[in-house]
Amino acid sequence: MGSLSHSQPRSPSHQPRQQRKHTPKAKTQGLYQRAIKQAFIKLDPRVQVKNPVMFLVWVGTIVTALVTINPNLLGNATDKNPQLFNGLITLILLFTVLFANFAEAVAEGRGKAQADALRSTKTDAIARKLLPDGTVQEISSTDLRRGDLVKVIAGDVIPADGEVIQGVASVDESAITGESAPVLKQPGTDIASSVTGGTRILSDELVIRVMADPGKGFIDRMIALVEGAERTKTPNEIALTVLLAVLTQVFLIVIATMPPIANYVNSPVSVAVLISLLVALIPTTIGGLLSAIGIAGMDRVAQFNVIATSGRAVEACGDVNTLVLDKTGTITLGNRLAEEFIPVNGHTIPEVAQVALAASVFDETPEGKSIVRLAETYGVASFFNLDQAEGVEFSARTRMSGTDVADGTEFRKGAVDAIKGFIRSRQGEIPVELDHAFEKVSRLGGTPLAVCQNQEIYGVIYLKDIIKPGIRERFDQLRRMGIRTVMLTGDNRITASVIAQEAGVDDFIAEATPEDKIEVIRSEQAKGKLVAMTGDGTNDAPALAQANVGVAMNSGTQAAKEAANMVDLDSDPTKLIDIVTIGKQLLITRGALTTFSIANDIAKYFAIIPAIFAQAGIGSLNIMGLASAQSAVLSALIYNALIIPALVPLALKGVKFRPLTADQLLARNILIYGLGGVVAPFIAIKLLDNFVAAIGLA
Amino acid sequence: MLQGIFQIALTLILVIALTPILGQYLARVFLQEKTWLDPILEPIERRVYRWIGLRDSEEMTGRQYTQAVLVSNLAMGLLVFTIIIAQPFLPFNPTGLGNVRWDTALHTTISFLTNTDQQHYSGETTLSYSSQVFALGFLLFTSAATGLAVGIAFIRGLTGRSLGNFYRDLVLAITRVLLPLSLVGAMVLIIAGVPETLAGVATATTLEGANQAIARGPIAHFEIIKQLGENGGGFFGANSAHPFENPNGLTNLVETIAMVVIPSALIYTYGLFAKNLRQAWYVYGIVLALFIPLVALTAWGEFQGNSQVNALLGSAAANLEGKEVRFGWAQTALWSILTTATMCGAVNGMHDSLMPPGGFSTLLNLFLQIVWGGQGTGTAFLFVYLILAVFLTGLMVGRTPEFLGRKIEKPEIVLASIILLIHPIAVLIPAAVTLAFPETLAGISNPGFHGISQVIYEYASASANNGSGFEGLGDGTVWWNLSACFSLLVGRYVPIVALLLLADGMAHKQPVPLTTGTLRTDTGLFTSITGVIILILGVLTFFPVLALGPIAEGFQLAHL
Amino acid sequence: MLKLEFLETILIRFRQQRWPKVFLFALLGTLLLAPAVQAATGGTLDRGQTFALVLLGITTVLLSIYLFVVIFQPERF
Repeated sequence: MGSLSHSQPRSPSHQPRQQRKHTPKAKTQGLYQRAIKQAFIKLDPRVQVKNPVMFLVWVGTIVTALVTINPNLLGNATDKNPQLFNGLITLILLFTVLFANFAEAVAEGRGKAQADALRSTKTDAIARKLLPDGTVQEISSTDLRRGDLVKVIAGDVIPADGEVIQGVASVDESAITGESAPVLKQPGTDIASSVTGGTRILSDELVIRVMADPGKGFIDRMIALVEGAERTKTPNEIALTVLLAVLTQVFLIVIATMPPIANYVNSPVSVAVLISLLVALIPTTIGGLLSAIGIAGMDRVAQFNVIATSGRAVEACGDVNTLVLDKTGTITLGNRLAEEFIPVNGHTIPEVAQVALAASVFDETPEGKSIVRLAETYGVASFFNLDQAEGVEFSARTRMSGTDVADGTEFRKGAVDAIKGFIRSRQGEIPVELDHAFEKVSRLGGTPLAVCQNQEIYGVIYLKDIIKPGIRERFDQLRRMGIRTVMLTGDNRITASVIAQEAGVDDFIAEATPEDKIEVIRSEQAKGKLVAMTGDGTNDAPALAQANVGVAMNSGTQAAKEAANMVDLDSDPTKLIDIVTIGKQLLITRGALTTFSIANDIAKYFAIIPAIFAQAGIGSLNIMGLASAQSAVLSALIYNALIIPALVPLALKGVKFRPLTADQLLARNILIYGLGGVVAPFIAIKLLDNFVAAIGLA
Repeated sequence: MLQGIFQIALTLILVIALTPILGQYLARVFLQEKTWLDPILEPIERRVYRWIGLRDSEEMTGRQYTQAVLVSNLAMGLLVFTIIIAQPFLPFNPTGLGNVRWDTALHTTISFLTNTDQQHYSGETTLSYSSQVFALGFLLFTSAATGLAVGIAFIRGLTGRSLGNFYRDLVLAITRVLLPLSLVGAMVLIIAGVPETLAGVATATTLEGANQAIARGPIAHFEIIKQLGENGGGFFGANSAHPFENPNGLTNLVETIAMVVIPSALIYTYGLFAKNLRQAWYVYGIVLALFIPLVALTAWGEFQGNSQVNALLGSAAANLEGKEVRFGWAQTALWSILTTATMCGAVNGMHDSLMPPGGFSTLLNLFLQIVWGGQGTGTAFLFVYLILAVFLTGLMVGRTPEFLGRKIEKPEIVLASIILLIHPIAVLIPAAVTLAFPETLAGISNPGFHGISQVIYEYASASANNGSGFEGLGDGTVWWNLSACFSLLVGRYVPIVALLLLADGMAHKQPVPLTTGTLRTDTGLFTSITGVIILILGVLTFFPVLALGPIAEGFQLAHL
Repeated sequence: MLKLEFLETILIRFRQQRWPKVFLFALLGTLLLAPAVQAATGGTLDRGQTFALVLLGITTVLLSIYLFVVIFQPERF
């Protein structure tokens, strides 16, 4: 058969998306109480110093607290009722810091809840380690090392990630995938030989070779990631941190140089007001939410049941230019089904069915089984003793499979070219109608498989490929986002082009070998593109490692998972598209909030500067008509503090991503966050000023 | 009124018309393509190259280019400082001018070396002809050529080429650009009546019978390179307001155009290097969109005149204080804005006497540094802002931001940020110190809001390498000389180093292909956003001083 | 000999400690800068206010240095 990697992902993609989303049920009760507590714990300067913008606010709070205690500490107080005014400023600044801490704590808390749910599956199990002499030693699962052999029997929790080397058993993987149906695990096959620590074996027993040291397994990685414990900043986040630090530095200089300039024209400004102005101007909104955005982004990835090894990988997804996708399981439903037998050489359909059946009796793939099923509808049955026959397995090299009977009869089915070669090697004849049949099936987008008995071709099996519903729309979305899709298939050119056409991919590579995959990736990368791919087989591992973003299927082999930067627990290749969206969302959210933060400064300037320099005669710049200097400062600060919790939901959920072109997206976001960021604070500060003046605070 | 608008419009149209012509020529020169000057100049250049030991094909890395700029500038600075200090012992000193104070000599050297030409002295009574011509005249060319070379190297790096060779660029900037243009310009000026002589002071007997000493000298060639190279340091203390430097409307037009023609053309040159003229014109649009309102604001302010004076006169008159009547309000307003926009710094009227809108506009120009901006560096700053805008907007479309197919990452942001940061440091900090000790340090002639404008203007002019002064400051003191030196050096060399390293980094990046997901930077939308970001970043940084300086002064005048 | 060793340890300890050093220099800076601030404010402030103001100024400078560290080594934060 022509499928590139002959594994068939156990794809649950036909289920509605909602059901697959978010499986490890995280407890959210008590989340906010814990976050509030954390917000206070995070006031520790050693934590604050990690966030430059908020650290300045923190230091400012201490200084204003000092001038609240003694208003004449840094110069003779000139403000009206200085102790109350300074006290209010201190309180608002403290809340600004607390709100930022709270945002981070909520994001972390959500991750932690998810991590706890995961961790609960990781009980400290007793493992039965198999010693080289064959005896069993009971040790704690944390003492297992890579390469150890362990035995698990029904009811056990599998102690570590590993590979089945002996036995057949069903395993409940619902703890990590949320899929309740048990999965069959057996050695040898790529598909089912890998097991994950923390899952439970339901029947029989297995011998497993441990593939990960304790604390390095998938669940451990996922826990570390969603908790934010191992969060290192992504490249874009680092660049943004620099920009925020620079803006903060600029405003620090502006404010620090202001007193002598203001004193020169006899408009002295108190230290508390200067600190207020500084805090209003530095980008506290984005500074307070930056880490929450990052943590929440990883959390969203985890909710999609994807384990990413780093935030960097998720962010790189947003930059992907090319997606390399396997046809099978991604673009088409995994299982091609036998649809029709087309006889050639004057044979009848039942004759073809007979030979097809004979060639497929040992074929355990869904395709093979569907051939058997179709053949049986013609009332044919196996005419030789299965004990005296032997199955010939499919290989990527021969591209055919079949059955050798003890009497020397050979039944084969496979790619038309491969069968032709087989016939030629047996000095048989190739009927002309074969090519017609081949073309006919190919043009339907199906896969033609020729069947033969010894040197005689009987006909062609039409394997129908079913393109996943909705896949075309997704590729259209990708194209609008500027992402090119390349389909790789072992099918012949005609079939491949028909499927490519129907599915709407941009390019395809037919009759691809595993080596082609890595070639495609290399040539795209040479053009400066970032490539993402999905894979599951061991022979995908080099390509997964080569790709900028490699997503391995959880059903895939351990080697593939090691090579990838992400593992999809649902083994759904189309999910790559969702991860791309999350990566983009992360960047957009950061960019949007930074823009918003900077745009806000215009209104804050117009609120505070005319108010505090009213004696300098620039009161006419008070275009908002704020009640007094003190109320102007207070309302700008209150706005500045309140905007952080107001934007927490946006930071956690992310700005909604729409598959538009870059220009459309920019126009939209600049309108909302740029223009909105200019206008919103004018309105909000005016309203707050009315309120502050009304209750007589200032 | 109409006549004034016509004068301004005509000048602008001429500038825009000249832009593609000179821009194309610059591109041909620095892409080493054939030009019609090759047969005459190539032998000379080859001799120069051989003399300085330069192999023609040598390309420099960013680090080498930076080193070459710094080392050559240091050498030139030392040479010029020595000449000025040794002035009494050197020839061409017909008026017998004596020693120059060490701090004045240092400030003058650094100021001319950095293409600023801030002068804390009067040229005609301090410096001999040899100091003026051999020392400063030499720097007028080399400092402008240094700026141009850096600008070109930056454009090369940005468009993925290697930076080139600083010494070759320096030579080409002089032989192919500054010398030929100066030659033509000087001829025109001489024909129009600007003197060019090595003779000493002329003595005339006035109608009253008194003897008057009239300073003169080799002015015409000094004048044209002063304008063309964005230098701005006048032969006379009165600069281009002096009737020998700028005698009439024609010389004024030539000198005005000379100020802006190279920075303006360089944007077009960028378009040719990047093979994207569309973007070049969009960027040009940003500049015009900032420039025209500032000219309009200034011209309106001058035309309205001073309400206090008008109330006394009982009629509406334009503000002509500190202006040459032969230029009037319109040409002075245009000149003031152009000279601060292009970092030329020559003046044909006293900026101290501009109405508050003019003070505001000239200060804003010095703060932004990109309304054309300095020779070479201004264009580079424009693209630094473009890179910052790309970073913000790029994130908003959900991709790692990229400019011309090259990713903007941490090193680019760090370097661009340094450029953003250096101006407030070099302007606000010394200004704050000066204003903290108004009696001991400042020497301000007008207290109050205008005094703030004076001090801020002085440091902004130094840091932006403009060189014009609000005047009225007693700025010939050790404090002013040394603190201005700090602003001059920091404002010049830190950005240059950052620009070159930035360009070098960009040149070595693997370009990413364009897709529909890529943010296009040659669209009206992106360009407008960049313009707004420039304005916001510039205004946010300097809003408090603008508010306490010209804005407060404006309100004060209106409310008196 | 013993005394010398003792002095040496103090010196080494001093070099190893970061915050006491910053604190010491801040105090020294305060002493040096206080007269300048006194002059700039025209003698309207008493001694305590002047010292507090200078300390605030030094804190500002330290914050600025901290921000420069963030700008050049953002990975550390």
